[in-house]
This record gives sequence, C-alpha cells and structure tokens, in this order.
Amino acid sequence: MKGVSRWAGLGALAVFLAVLPQALPNNYYVDIAVLAGFNAIICVGLNLLIGYAGQISLGHAGFFGLGAYCSAVLVTHHGWPPVLALLAGAILVGLIAFAIARPILKLKGHYLAMATLGIGIIISIVINTEAGITGGPDGIAAGPFTLGGFTLQGERDWYWVVAGLLLLTIWLATNLVDSPVGRALRALHGSEVGAEVVGVDTTRYKVMVFVVSAVIASVAGSLFAHYVPQLTPTKADFFKSIELVTMVVFGGMASTFGALVGAAFLTTLPQFLTVFEDYEPIILGGIMMGTMIFMPRGLVPTIAAFIQRRRS
Amino acid sequence: MLSAFLQFLISGVTVGAIYALCGLGFSIIYNASHVINFAQGEFIMIGAMSAVSLVDAGVPMPLAIVLAILITMAVGVLLEKLAVEPAKRASVTTLIIITIGASIFLRGLAQEVWDKNFHKLEPFTGEVPINLLGAVLMPQTLWVLGVAVIVILLLAWFFNRTLEGKAMLATSFNPLAAQLMGINTKRVLMISFALSAALGAIGGIVITPITFTAYDNGIMLGLKGFSAAVLGGLGNGMGAVVGGLVVGIAESMAAGYLSSAYKDAVAFVIILAVLIFLPNGLFGRKGTERV
Amino acid sequence: MTLLRVENLSKEFGGIHAVSELSFVINPGTIHSIIGPNGAGKTTLFNLITGVYTPSLGAILFDDKSTAGKAPYELAKRGMSRTFQNLQIFFNMTAIENVMVGRHLHLDRRFLPSLLRLPGIAKSDALAREKSAELMRFVGLEAYLDADADAMPYGALKRLEIARALAAEPKLLLLDEPAAGLNATESREIDEVIVKVAQSGVTVVLVEHDMKMVMGISDHILVLDYGKKLAEGTPAEVRNNPAVVAAYLGGAHA
Repeated sequence: MKGVSRWAGLGALAVFLAVLPQALPNNYYVDIAVLAGFNAIICVGLNLLIGYAGQISLGHAGFFGLGAYCSAVLVTHHGWPPVLALLAGAILVGLIAFAIARPILKLKGHYLAMATLGIGIIISIVINTEAGITGGPDGIAAGPFTLGGFTLQGERDWYWVVAGLLLLTIWLATNLVDSPVGRALRALHGSEVGAEVVGVDTTRYKVMVFVVSAVIASVAGSLFAHYVPQLTPTKADFFKSIELVTMVVFGGMASTFGALVGAAFLTTLPQFLTVFEDYEPIILGGIMMGTMIFMPRGLVPTIAAFIQRRRS
Repeated sequence: MLSAFLQFLISGVTVGAIYALCGLGFSIIYNASHVINFAQGEFIMIGAMSAVSLVDAGVPMPLAIVLAILITMAVGVLLEKLAVEPAKRASVTTLIIITIGASIFLRGLAQEVWDKNFHKLEPFTGEVPINLLGAVLMPQTLWVLGVAVIVILLLAWFFNRTLEGKAMLATSFNPLAAQLMGINTKRVLMISFALSAALGAIGGIVITPITFTAYDNGIMLGLKGFSAAVLGGLGNGMGAVVGGLVVGIAESMAAGYLSSAYKDAVAFVIILAVLIFLPNGLFGRKGTERV
Repeated sequence: MTLLRVENLSKEFGGIHAVSELSFVINPGTIHSIIGPNGAGKTTLFNLITGVYTPSLGAILFDDKSTAGKAPYELAKRGMSRTFQNLQIFFNMTAIENVMVGRHLHLDRRFLPSLLRLPGIAKSDALAREKSAELMRFVGLEAYLDADADAMPYGALKRLEIARALAAEPKLLLLDEPAAGLNATESREIDEVIVKVAQSGVTVVLVEHDMKMVMGISDHILVLDYGKKLAEGTPAEVRNNPAVVAAYLGGAHA
C-alpha cells in the first residue's frame, strides 16, 4: 500500500518535471525552475535531518557553499575536471560534517541551533576573507560543467540534469525513510531514550543523517557553481541557511514532497514579487512566522490531513 | 605595546558591555518562557534607529532616548503578543523559526521605515579624548560602561528586591507552581519581552555614537549576544554579563593581534568550543534528564 | 546461574542518595517485582540497570558481564529491553511503526541497502510488519493496527511500549509500572500478558504499585525504601516481613 503510493508520487513528479519545460514560456522561467530544483535537492536532504531526525541545522548553506567553492577553486585554479572536483567537494564536506557531527549532535534544541549556526557563519566568513583563493565578496567563476567532451549549455540542458538529480534524491530519501534506518531516525526524534533501549545507536544515526544531508548540499553546491556565471559568498551565508530551513518547515517537516513544495514555492514567490523587491524580507519573515503559528506542521502535511478528514 | 593592548581592551570591554546587555535580554526571555528570541538583536537596531531619527526630527536628545526605548519596548510586547504567545506550545524548532522570522521581518520593516544607510548619533558629552596610559578613551565609552553597570545593578535589584522581579524568577524555576501561587505568567512573559527590548534599545543607543547603526546590524549583534548568553550558561544573568565581556574582549584582541577580517568569527569559535567542551556554559546548572 | 547481579550499587544526585549500597540477584525465567513507596529509587534502579544513568558506585553484571560504561543500545543488543513510567512513545510514528522500531536489532540496517531499497530490505520490512502486528495482537492492541501513536489512549500506549520492548526479543524485560493509570479490567489483561511473556522464557522485572498484581504473579519480590533494600523473598515471605508491613504495606492499607 505504502510502496504503491511512493511510486505513484515519484511517477507523478516525473511526469510533471517532463512536461514543465513545455509550459514555461522562456528561459527566464526555466532558470527559476532550475534554481528551485537546486533548492529542492538541498531541502530534501535537510528534511531528513530536521524533519525526520528532529535535529535542527542553521548552517547548511555552509556545506552548500563549501561544495560550490571546492568545485570552483579546483576547476579554475587547478584545472580539475568538474566531476572530480564535485566528488572531492563531497568527500571533503562529508569528512568535515563527520568530524563535527559527533560533538555537536550531543547538543539539543537551542544549543544545537547555535552550534550549527556558528559553523555556517565561520565557513561563510572564511569564504569571504580568503579572497586569494575564493575571490572574496566578488566571487569566482567556475566555468561550464563538462563531462567527457560533453558540455552543459543553457538553462534547458541544466533543467534536465537538475530534474534528474532531484528525482534521484527524492527516490533515495523516500527509500531511506521507509527502512529500518529511517525508522530509527524518526524514532530518535520521537524519544531518544525510547529508541536507545530497543537497540538504536542514536549517536551513530544522528551523525549519519547529518553527513548525508551535508553531502547532498555539497553536491548541489558543486553543480550550482557551474550553473551560475559567478559564484558569490552570499550563497553560503547565514540567510541562505535560514532560507533553506524555512523552505523545509514551510513545505512540511517530515514530508519529502513537502520539502520539494516548500523549496519550489519559496524560490518562485520572490520572482513574482519583483515589484515588491524591497518588501522581500518582510514577506519572508511573515511567511516564517505565519506558517509556524497557523500550520506548524507545514503546508503539505496540513493539506494531507485536511483531505484525509474530508474523506473519512 | 601596553598602550595598544590597553586600546584593544577598552574597545573590547565597550562592545562587550553591549553584548552583555543583549545576552541579558536573551536570558530574561529564556527564563520567563524557555524561548530563545533570535530577534533580540533587532531591539538594538530599532532602539538606535529610532533615537537617530527622533534626534534628526529635532527632538532633544534625552527625550529622544526615552521615546526610542519606549518604542522598542512596544515592539517587544507586540512581538510577544502576536508571534510568541500564539505559538506557546510549539516545539523548540518552531519557536526558533518564529523568532528568526520576526527578526527578518523587523529588519525588512526597518529598511522601509528608514533606509539602507548608516546613521550616527552625536556623542552624549563631546568628543574630547581622554589619554589613559597611551590609549585613547572616548567620553562615550564611559557612557557605555556607566550605563551598562547601572542597568545591570537595576536589574539585580529588580529581580531580587521587587515582587514583580521575584514573580519572574519564580516563573523561571517552575511555571506551573508559579501559576498556582497566583502569579500571572502571561504578564510575566510580556514584561520579559518589554524588559529585553528595553535592554537592547539602551545598548543600541549608547553604542551608536561609537559604532554607527543601520537597518541590518541587529543580526550580528544579536547572535553575539546569544553567544554571550550561552557562554555564561543560558538563563544565568551574571553569566551573560561575563560572557558578553569575554566575547567582546576576545573579539577585539583577535582583531588587533590576528586579523580584523576574522573578528566576527571569534565569537562563534569560542561558542563552539564551549558547547563542545562545556555544554552547560561557564556557569550553567547541570540537568539530569528524567525518564 | 544468574541473569542479573547487582553489587553494592549506589547513585547520588547532588548529595541525595537515590539508591545506596544495593545488592541483589535475578535468576532467569522468573517474574521479579521491585516495590517500595514513591521515591524509593525504583525507577532510578531501572535507569541504572539499562544504562540510562551511570552508577556512582558499585557494579551491575548482566549475563556475568559488567555493564559499566555501556550505552542503553549496547545493553539492548545483549538482550535487555524495557518500558518507561513516563511514556517514551514515538508520537511522530504510527503504532505499528513503534513496534517495528523494536525489531531494529533483528533487521538489516545497513545504510546502502536501505538507501537503494534492495529487495531484501523490502522483504524483511514486510516480515517485521507482520511480526509487529502479531505482537500488537498479543498485548491486546488489535484495534490499533492502523492507528497513529498520537491518537491512542494512555492505557493502549502502555501496552504499545510492552509490544515494542518484546519486539526486540529480550532475555530480560524491565517493566516500569505497566499497570499505572489502568482500570481493573485492563490491569488483569496486562497481568495475563506478563505471565505469558514469562512462560515464553523471558525474565521479567516489574516495578509496580498494584499490590494485587505484584502478589499474584511474582516469583520473587525486592522491597526498597529510601534507596536501600528493606527485604526480599517470595510474596508470602515479603507479606509477613514485619519491616515491610511497618514501612510500606502498613501505610498502604491504612
């Protein structure tokens, strides 16, 4: 029953992603879709950490930025092939996340928020300051993404890559959630001691999900570095971290499709509000407060619960 | 040598005093409600910006300061009534996002109400520097330190000697018992936000003649104030003051002797070290989980 | 042979001795009860045995091996499982998923196969679901097979914790006040479940206030008072022990 609905959801999304480009009038909209896709990939990973395992991170843009800058620096300064640079970034971020996860995931609530926030800010300050390597506030250009003589060109090429990667990420995330590993993650969210006494090594699982979500952010960052003409440190800063968390929470914690909807909505919304550009922080802040006060479970779970109630 | 060190120390203590006031603001709200108010830094900004625009509008400085503090307190109370109280039963994550949302909202509002420029307030008593063993001491620095000390003493008096303050302390130890004893915990929550807002505003106003202010400088100040509060042990008033001074001095020394670019990173490196090695802060109480 | 040996165990919290110099043994295949007035240290003792708290002094041997420094999950691997006085339900999951978490140690929980949902994972998950449903029926929760945990009444949640603990297939099952908050009928049902569990070869240790239950099903009773052992023995011995009558039963019947 559950397996069927999972494939149905994934299939519906695949169909939607396949026809979406036809519905988009020009490349400006394709660009928005690609940006939404990048955010959605990070948010699906972040949701494993925040939504399922219940561990907040206010520093994930740091991992996104590390992956992005790792790619940009290795490709432009050292002539690495983009794929290798992406893998190197993923490994580096994975190792960093692994090293810091054990001590900081012992912390709970506000303390964990503070620690992850601190890590994110430190990464962002380093990127801003080490201008000799990173280009500082001006940024750095990673150049196009090439693989075996094939070069990704234009928004539409990128669209298919990002859409494919998004489907893959969602497939993997839903698999994980619905496995003994995923149940262990949700269980330690519900009650750490309750999970421990039936044999769940809660520390190990927290570290694991932290590393997984960081590596997903890093891979998205590596690709993103090649997508944008100029990579700037704002993509790794505190506000980007907050934006990512807001997407997860707005879409719905512990809902993979919620993370997707949250990312898509909050990436698209500002584009339609360009006339109100100055009001963007007011609107973003308002959405954050409003969602949490009026539908703390987020958009998708709230709607799902509503439909279920109507049916029964 | 000594004069440089002294100079760094002076500026560290000065900015540390503001972190301390901000950290106290975090602690007061945390004690009353177990909420971490990530919008605390915005109080600093709103206080400073209000004072600047009132002075610009021709209001005499002392009156402008009082009005700016009152405006900030009103914002604090509104924040509590409109955003925090409706979500009282929410999880820690939810409340973190609400207050961060409030912070971004207030910053956006400030950008609309005022502008994106830097603003300065005239020093309270002139700009004739005082020479102190080769280091330069601006009169405004004395104002910052003096005001901080007075505010901290007043707070200590409030919490230990007045009924209202004792009610707030009681609520922090056991909200249910406090409620049963007839303490209006909702009122306590409101007062805590008003008080924190006032602390932020006062800090913001006295420091602005030295550091300038702008719509977006609340965030960093707030995060460092939070570092101060965590460093001293969340909810511990004296701890927040010590934490603020430690963060301020460390930051100023790092900027002076190491690298000014990494100045802002210092607070976060300290806080990570403390969280990892002393999870309860310097003066925090150790709790045992009850299962 | 003993399953659990507690030697000279002490635990203090900021100068207060919750458990002091306590020694006792638990033999396999029996039902043991630990009784005593509120604050006697019963739950603290459970937390010490299962590794939730670290003892201040003394030793605990489970299967003749020390449990010192072991986390609760490591002791669970060795065959210990428990329920809680203050419920530790996973309210973010369905009832049956709660029990399936209890199967954790018996499932393939490697990361990569889970991520790719290899056929083996899907198959063993289906089996775990069946087994968990069976356990829910065993503890009388057949009505809640499709329920979300946060929609269940207190009494059902108490049983859900028992089912979850049983799903781990423990050698030693520690139940912290399984009958608290239940009505008389529900209590009797829990009685039966506990007896059936013990008959299946699991050693049960029980903290309980319901004296009728304790006297009815226990093979052995340990009486605690202020963290110290007041008496131990068969139900009959304990009932006739003057110290127990004075300190505990006397008060309870007054």
